[in-house]
Amino acid sequence: MRKIRASLLFGSVMLLAACGNGETEEAVDEQAVESTEEVAEAAELNVVATTTMMADLMEVIGGERVEVTGLMGPGIDPHDYQPSTSDVNAMTEADIVAYNGLMLEERFVEVFDQLEQQGVFTITAEDAMDTSVLLDPEEDEEDLEYDPHIWFSVAHWETVTEHVADRLSEKEPESEDYFRENAENYLDELAELREYIEERIEEVPEQSRYLVTAHDAFQYFGEEFNFEVLGLQGLNPQTEAGTADISSLADFLADNEINAVFVETSVSPRGIEALIEAAASRGHEVENAGELYSDALGSPDDGTDTYIEMFRANIDTIVDGLTN
Amino acid sequence: MSMITQITMVAVVVAVTCALPGVFLVLRGTTMVSDAITHTVLLGIVLAFFITQDLRSPWLMIGATLVGVGTVWAIEALQQTKLLSNDAAIGIIFPLFFSIAIILITRYAGNVHLDVDAVLMGEVAFAPFRRFVFMGMDLGPRALWTMLVILILNSLFIFLFYKELKLTTFDAAFAAAVGFSPVLVHYGLMTLVSLTAVGAYDSVGSILVVGFMVGPPLAAYLLTDRLYIMIALSIVLAIVNSVVGVQLAFALDTTIAGMIATVTGFTTLLIFVLSPKKGLIKASLNRRRELKKIDRQIKQAQKS
Repeated sequence: MRKIRASLLFGSVMLLAACGNGETEEAVDEQAVESTEEVAEAAELNVVATTTMMADLMEVIGGERVEVTGLMGPGIDPHDYQPSTSDVNAMTEADIVAYNGLMLEERFVEVFDQLEQQGVFTITAEDAMDTSVLLDPEEDEEDLEYDPHIWFSVAHWETVTEHVADRLSEKEPESEDYFRENAENYLDELAELREYIEERIEEVPEQSRYLVTAHDAFQYFGEEFNFEVLGLQGLNPQTEAGTADISSLADFLADNEINAVFVETSVSPRGIEALIEAAASRGHEVENAGELYSDALGSPDDGTDTYIEMFRANIDTIVDGLTN
Repeated sequence: MSMITQITMVAVVVAVTCALPGVFLVLRGTTMVSDAITHTVLLGIVLAFFITQDLRSPWLMIGATLVGVGTVWAIEALQQTKLLSNDAAIGIIFPLFFSIAIILITRYAGNVHLDVDAVLMGEVAFAPFRRFVFMGMDLGPRALWTMLVILILNSLFIFLFYKELKLTTFDAAFAAAVGFSPVLVHYGLMTLVSLTAVGAYDSVGSILVVGFMVGPPLAAYLLTDRLYIMIALSIVLAIVNSVVGVQLAFALDTTIAGMIATVTGFTTLLIFVLSPKKGLIKASLNRRRELKKIDRQIKQAQKS
């Protein structure tokens, strides 16, 4: 009796599974037909980029030759990203995947390795960088975790720009001149951006060049533009700030008379609020001087959806916050 | 094979694998054990990481499973004392293990990308991209194979110990009285729960593990009083929920795990309301009929 039950059960499972598959197969065939038509029309390179920064750069250098799908939206912490089905479809049809690397997109690491093995061309910011210029938060030789937030150094982003142009030319040699020209123009824009940053930073007295933020995303910025950078949380915004972190940072604010701290668009402001209260309990008044874009660009509505606009907005917020 | 087919297959296999031990969790009133496991495994990951210092090491998965087993055993042991209720036992163990893990990370590994996502990636949308390649042959999504192995283990265990599981679930006292120790079967089941949770977690993510383990068995429980029918219905519901969930997710372009969990919740609620045997409507009808009957009896008594 038990055997009959079991086999009945198994039979019904297989039957149902078979029905399910039949259904889905049809739906997919339709989808496949649609997508091949699209490709035939456009004949552009399908690029899938993870972060908003990489998507922006691919768009700038690739220009008319690429169709860029950005996976992570504006204001999204790469840790909180949830893939939608169109993201999955985009990844299946991708000719190129572009990502930051250095463990920023940890959920993707394995997926991208697999895609690369299946012959998808990959472009990463990580590959552009020489490890000697990367910052190591642990200062521990055995530890191979580097700070992934390289886009906050304009110089590093220039290196990445050149690397992207190189790689795109490798993928499509016949468009090399076009990619190189785009890269040249963009490097000019980045030079302008750097001038703007340096000009604005001049407004901040040297003894108040402290940047205190929610998580430790701005070390490369600090290195390039001579800011002392302190993050309440470590590199990974998923970890919680300990009470000792908060109180020692509050002491530091009081000792160095720092009056402005910054929140980030993609990190909860709770930690920074606790920091402000901790400083207040020490009789030192600190102001929340505004939101910085850290792990993601802003939205087109705010006019901060490109790397350059994002950086300008950040600099304005930082300088205005520190000079008031 | 196309994307949507592969995702559907993975979802279906994981759903069925989870539903099998889920039946016994529902019957024993310890469904939230599955939720506890999805969090406490972090402790296993952290401890294994401290030993291996390598985020890619397979030991992290093994550590996760072991702590998962530790979690269910600790909860079991507390319940066996009969000094506190089932949910209270879970309420003690789950935050304890989880917060130890958080403390260890904050204290010793603040700058390492060490969290559950990093190790047990768990995203059903990505399942087709993680291939199982053996001797140069691509054999399909890896999650499909690992979960099939766990499915076979679960099925075998339930098949071989069906009588014992039934006895210890419905009448543990009688089982003990006839000289049958429920402990072994019980811990065996709980070990499988842990293994299933970690495997499913790695394949489809944490929301779904809880949804898969609780939803279909609970709905099936509302439809029948017979254990084998309950198991069969759980499997059917697990399959229907997954297939419908994946289809809807693709139609609406949204997160697959979220959509399957929503469909699971919806069908379970629907059955809760409409079940002909134990549903909400049936229950209120019964109550009204009872009231009318009493009313009539009172009137008759007044007349006479």
